Amino acid sequence: MSFKTLVKASFAQTIYFLKNVKAMLITFLLWPYLMLGLILGAGLMFGSTASFKQNIGLNVDPIVFFIASSVVALISISLMWGVAGSVLELRWIGALPYVILAPHRFSITLVVSYIPNYLLIASLQILEFAPLIILIEGLEIGLLKIAILFLALIVGMLPLMGFAALFASFLISIKEESNILAWLNPIILLFSGAFYPAYLLPRWAQFISWLLPSTYTIELARLSALIGAPKLSTITFMIGVLLGMALVYNSIASALMGAGERKALREGIIE
Amino acid sequence: MSNRNIAIETVSLVKTYTAYDRIGFFKRVKKRVKALCGVSFKVYEGEVFGLLGPNGAGKTTTVKILSTLLLPDSGDAYILGHHVIHEATKVRKLIGVSLSVERGFFWKLTGKENLKYFGMLYGLDGQELEQRVNELLEMLGLEELGASNKLYEEYSLGMKARLSIARTLLTDPPVLILDEPTLGLDPPSARCLREMLVQLAHEKGKTVLITTHNMFEAEIICDRVAIIDKGQILAVDTVDGLKRRVADVVPLEITVYLPAQTSIEHLTRILKRDTNCPVKIFPEEKGHRIKILSSPDEVDETTSRALKSLYDQKCNVRKVEVKQPSLEDVFIKLTGKTGFR
Repeated sequence: MSFKTLVKASFAQTIYFLKNVKAMLITFLLWPYLMLGLILGAGLMFGSTASFKQNIGLNVDPIVFFIASSVVALISISLMWGVAGSVLELRWIGALPYVILAPHRFSITLVVSYIPNYLLIASLQILEFAPLIILIEGLEIGLLKIAILFLALIVGMLPLMGFAALFASFLISIKEESNILAWLNPIILLFSGAFYPAYLLPRWAQFISWLLPSTYTIELARLSALIGAPKLSTITFMIGVLLGMALVYNSIASALMGAGERKALREGIIE
Repeated sequence: MSNRNIAIETVSLVKTYTAYDRIGFFKRVKKRVKALCGVSFKVYEGEVFGLLGPNGAGKTTTVKILSTLLLPDSGDAYILGHHVIHEATKVRKLIGVSLSVERGFFWKLTGKENLKYFGMLYGLDGQELEQRVNELLEMLGLEELGASNKLYEEYSLGMKARLSIARTLLTDPPVLILDEPTLGLDPPSARCLREMLVQLAHEKGKTVLITTHNMFEAEIICDRVAIIDKGQILAVDTVDGLKRRVADVVPLEITVYLPAQTSIEHLTRILKRDTNCPVKIFPEEKGHRIKILSSPDEVDETTSRALKSLYDQKCNVRKVEVKQPSLEDVFIKLTGKTGFR
């Protein structure tokens, strides 16, 4: 049984959904700009673009800065929802038992099958913002920043998947069908510095942000792609942290997902 | 029968669930509910085997254990010799499972897209997948109904049931495990599905385990039936074999209109007292059907006593029949309970 068919299944499912539900396709395409508008609007309520530059201490274009935030925020939400939320969705529609019956470990089915979806969403959203970035930064620097942003999202995906799988293991092990993720996601994004850089948060909140993989993905995306040319050592450090977190989160998730699945099998809550 | 290979075997399965009774807003009391109390049976290759019992008897629990979706507290279960707990991955490749005919698919995908998705999830790909999906849509009559390219949310219950069976057959597994496959279907759809299941077993050699609370269904399609109640198997035999167990009784059926003030419970008590036989009353579309299990040499006596009682109770008797024993009578005799239809 190959992973190829698992990945293809997820890819096909995403395409089928977008093909059959036109409203979803339109929302999917509009969402990045709506999110950017929301973040910019919220930001402007607290001060002008000049005060924003002063606050973060760097000479950056706030629009470009928030493009990175929007992309990372949207993709983090999408990943969290895609992996962890799919447990809820499958339970709601009654398909969870049939996915579990696939001859793979459920955690693998859940995580691996989300990769093509993630890549598709990441590519589409970066492509959507590409004209705006190029318009602001110029063709050469714009393309370079887009490439680095994409790379940051790929590396950032690895720990985020483990992180999302941790939630999935929690959701599968309890007979809970409420959409916990709906309120959890914005909080995670806030602590990760998606709306304002993490170093502007209170010290206790900064501690939480260190533990969240999304913090490093967001920082890497911003530093590498949008705030100028950081030192190679900074980028290497960020990638190292992300890879380390990927190892930690995915190992914990793998163990907990197995435990969650066993608990669900014992208690008969797979329905 | 015993010379045939065993496809499914359960040995002393025990399962207890933890449930909670809520008291007020915060408090809840834990309670243990015994779902299976040592369930053992064997299903042979190529037969349609029915697990017959009322709601809450333990049918779905048994099916979930066999499908590797639930761990028993103790006992063992095997599919074609593979242990459902220790060799779950192998078992999953050998079974096709349907737990509900009305759920379990993506609403915004067509029937064909749903089958393709699950096919890929189960390891099919490319030409093989395309061919298999088309073959199943054709075989289950979904192509003919123009349903293959319809969104699942637009499906009728009958179409959903067919699609559910199609999914169980995606990887052409030798064993099919179906929980109440005809539940809620209209009679033509149910009949069509039943014929299909018999065909799959008798022509294609599949082993089909179905759960049902429909005695008529069990009687017409199952090669063998296990009667389960309160987590225990009460009897396993062919339908004829089970009926022989009630050869010592003659089912007497009287159809009546009950006066508004007479309750079923009251009338049951009266008839039991007056006839000294097991009595069950079933509310039907037109009136009530009273079943009295009489001994063969006392049928006339029992009939006249019953009719006198009914007359005294001011019941309007429509029809009196002496029937052949059915599975319903077996169930009444084994459990002492009202049958279920």
